[in-house]
Amino acid sequence: MASDFAGIVGALVDSGVEVIVIGGLAAQAHGAARLTQDADFLYRRTPENIDRLAAALRAHAPYLRGAPPGLPFRFDAATIQRGLNFTLTTALGDVDLLGEIVGGGNYEDVIEHSSKLSVFGRDVSVIDLPALIRAKRAAGRPKDLEAIAELEALLAERERSRER
Amino acid sequence: MSQSPDDAAILRQFGLEPDPVIEAYKKDVDRTLLRQNLMRTPDERWKLLTAQLRLAEELRRAGAKARGE
Repeated sequence: MASDFAGIVGALVDSGVEVIVIGGLAAQAHGAARLTQDADFLYRRTPENIDRLAAALRAHAPYLRGAPPGLPFRFDAATIQRGLNFTLTTALGDVDLLGEIVGGGNYEDVIEHSSKLSVFGRDVSVIDLPALIRAKRAAGRPKDLEAIAELEALLAERERSRER
Repeated sequence: MSQSPDDAAILRQFGLEPDPVIEAYKKDVDRTLLRQNLMRTPDERWKLLTAQLRLAEELRRAGAKARGE
């Protein structure tokens, strides 16, 4: 099933969940050409926001991605409080919810390096391109090398186009 | 090395030191696609992504059907 990005973003933003779009979806928002299938978000770990996050996804059947079916998993506030990073399947598509990112920190750290972009009729916080590059570099995953190369080329192209 | 000095200078403006391993990958980046995307709004980019994923899903489905799966 192709991810319903508009549905995922709408479910979170319309419920007032404080999230920052990171990962491949952020790269796409900045102009990257590489396709991504999952939606990665950095969420704020305040009790109020955790309540909103749990409520926002409740209707969309969140479940641990890759786990055998039938586990007694409930994506509620208590579960989110006990954990940090969650890789989920939902009825809207795959969603990764991270409490912090390597090379970036938590929500409060990254929001300083984010901008509000207008997408799907909503204003959504998206990590800035240089911060995204720093985070991907810091993660140090060989599979990211091509993506980082594209992001750095994108940054250079963007800056050159601004100078014209 | 395919990278122009301008790329390195731009990276350094943002506190990013060019990495030789990443530079090796950079020569294969299709910059024409990036330039096209830069002319789009973020909303248009996400809508294009959604359309591309739907197309890929449709092609996967058609392939599976053709193989009798």
